[in-house]
Amino acid sequence: MAITVIKGGLETTVQDYPGRKGAFGMGFPPSGPIDHWSFRLANVLVGNAPGAAALECAFIGPTLRFERDAVIALTGADMKATLDGDPVPLWQSIGARAGQTLALASAVTGARTYIAFAGGIDVPLFLDSRATFVIGACGGLDGVALKEGQTIPLGSADNAAPGRRLKEGTRPPAPAGGIWEIEVVAGPNDDWIDAAGQRRFLESDWKLSPKSNRVGFRLEGPEWTFTEKATNKAPENGEHPSNVIDHGYPIGAINLCGQTPIILMVDTLTLGGFINPYTVPTCAWWKLGQSRPNETYRFRQVSVAEAQAERRRIAALCTAASLAPEGPP
Amino acid sequence: MIYDEPRFTPGGDRFIEMELGDELNFDLNFLVHALTARVREADFDGIIELLPNMASIVISYDPDRIGYDDVVRKIGGIFASLGSLEDVELPSPLYTFPVLYFDHVTRACWEDYCARIVEKEYDPDLMVRLNKLESRAQLARIHSGTEYWVAALGFYPGLASLIALDPRCRLTAPKYNPPRTWTPKGTLGYGGSVTCLYPARTPGGYQIIGHSPVPVVDLEQRLRAFRDRLALLKPGDRVRFVPVGREEYDHVEAQVESGEYEHQVAAYAKFSIRAYHAWLETLDMSIRF
Repeated sequence: MAITVIKGGLETTVQDYPGRKGAFGMGFPPSGPIDHWSFRLANVLVGNAPGAAALECAFIGPTLRFERDAVIALTGADMKATLDGDPVPLWQSIGARAGQTLALASAVTGARTYIAFAGGIDVPLFLDSRATFVIGACGGLDGVALKEGQTIPLGSADNAAPGRRLKEGTRPPAPAGGIWEIEVVAGPNDDWIDAAGQRRFLESDWKLSPKSNRVGFRLEGPEWTFTEKATNKAPENGEHPSNVIDHGYPIGAINLCGQTPIILMVDTLTLGGFINPYTVPTCAWWKLGQSRPNETYRFRQVSVAEAQAERRRIAALCTAASLAPEGPP
Repeated sequence: MIYDEPRFTPGGDRFIEMELGDELNFDLNFLVHALTARVREADFDGIIELLPNMASIVISYDPDRIGYDDVVRKIGGIFASLGSLEDVELPSPLYTFPVLYFDHVTRACWEDYCARIVEKEYDPDLMVRLNKLESRAQLARIHSGTEYWVAALGFYPGLASLIALDPRCRLTAPKYNPPRTWTPKGTLGYGGSVTCLYPARTPGGYQIIGHSPVPVVDLEQRLRAFRDRLALLKPGDRVRFVPVGREEYDHVEAQVESGEYEHQVAAYAKFSIRAYHAWLETLDMSIRF
C-alpha cells in the first residue's frame, strides 16, 4: 500500500514521458503529459528520472491519503493544494508522512497540476510505458482516470529530500498579457490553404473551446479559405475542401474538420480524412496543457529547425542541473 | 495519380508526411506498404515509427538522432531503389472471420440510434438500395465474395481499413450523420469504399451490416493469436468473411469466451502484385454475384 485515492478529481491520470513508443502504427497514441515541461521538473525535484510515472491532474485535482512516508513535488497549475490543511507550495519537494492527506481543489491559474512521487508510480508497463490512455482503456492504473478507493503503488526511492527548489528561469513562464503565443510549423498540408487563409490563421486570435481534452484542443476563430488543391480533387478525397484521402496524423497537427480546427493531442486518433495545414511542435505543448477554455491563442510560425532548437532548450532545463544549490541548514 | 517523386512535408518538429499519390488506388497502396517494409528493414537510427495509409506514410523521428533532411534523403533513397513494383512479393497472411450478417447485435444498435438520435433506414437496406442490389442476401454474397486487403491500421487501436480485392465486390456506403455514440465490439461496418471490424465498443460512422464474435484486439492477450501482439491485423494482411448461421455464431462466441478459440489464418501466404494483375485480367466484369 502506498497511496489511497479518496477523491479522483476531474481527470487525474498516471502518465510518463514520452509515453508509449512503437505502437502508433497499430493505432495507439503515445499519451503522456501535455505540459511535459512542468511534468519533468516535478520528477527532477523528487530525484526521479525526468520521464518517470507521475500524476497529471486536469482542472480539479484529487484527494490522496499517504499510507507511507513519501517525498513529493507539485508543479504546473495552482490548485490550492493542502497537506492536512496546510498549504503546499508549488515547484519544490516536500515530505508527506503516512496518514496525511493531500487535497487539491480547482485550478486558479493554469489548467494542469503534476504530482511526482520520489520513486515514481509503480503501475505495470503496457507497451513499455505507464501512461494512461483512457479512451483505449489501457495503461496507467487499470486504464482509467483515478477513482475513489484505488491504490497507487509507489516505487522505492533513494535520492529524495524535501526542500529542493529550482533555479530561476528554469520554469515555464506565464503567458504575456494573458495571451498564449503558440509556435506552429507550416505543414503537412498548408498548400491546401490559400494565401489569405494562411494570413488569417497567423494574424487572428483563436479561442480555446471548452470542448477540448487530451484527444484534441478545439479552436474557435475565423473562416478558412482554400486553394485549388482542396476544391478541385479526385472524388475519393471527399466532398468538403478539408477532406482528404485517409492519412496518418502527426501529434500536434492542427486538424481541419470542416471549418473547425482541432489541435490533435497526446491521446489522438491516429489517422483520418481531414487535412492538417499546420502543426504545433512539441516545444509548445506545455502552453496547451496550461491554457484554459476561452483563453486566446495567437500562432507564430517557426521553422522545423527553430522548433527543434526550442525542444532541446526545454529538455536541457528538465534535468537535475536546474535544481538550486542547497542552502545551509 | 501516383507521383513520379514522393512529396515530403513536415508535421512539426518530429513528424514528416510522405505523399506518394492523391487517389485511392490499389497499386498505390501496395507501393506504400512495399516501401514501408523496405524502410523498416533498413532500420535507420532515429526513425521511430511509420504510419502507412492509403496513399501516404507519416514518419516519426527523433530529432536528437537524425535531422529532417537526412530522413528525407534516406527514405527518398529507398524509394528510388525500389525497382519495378511487379517484382515485389509481400508476406500476406489470410485471416478468415465468421460473420452473422444482418444480426441481432447490430440491429439493436441501429434501433437504439433511431430511438435516441434520429430515424434512419436499416443499414443493410440502405446499402442494397444505394448499390442497386436485389436483396440483403445478395449484399451478403457480394460482401463475403472477395478477399480484403488491409490498407491501413489505426484511428482506434487495432482498427483495420479493408478494401475489396475483387473489383466486382466493391460497394459504397455513406457515413452516419450525426455519428453513432456507440458501436458494438465486433461490428462489421462499411463506409465509403472501406469495410472494417470494430475492435472495441466505440463511437462510429460506418453503416453496420453484420457481427463477428472473433476479436481483432485483445489487450489482455488471452487468446493464442494474441500471445505476441495486441492487434491481430497488419497492413498488407488479407481478410475473408464467411457467412455463418446463428448456431455456428453462438458456438464460436462460446469458444472465444472460454479462451479456446483459434483464429483461422493461412500464415504462410504471400501476395504478388504481378499475379494479382494477371488474375484481374481473367475476370469477367459483367458478372454480379
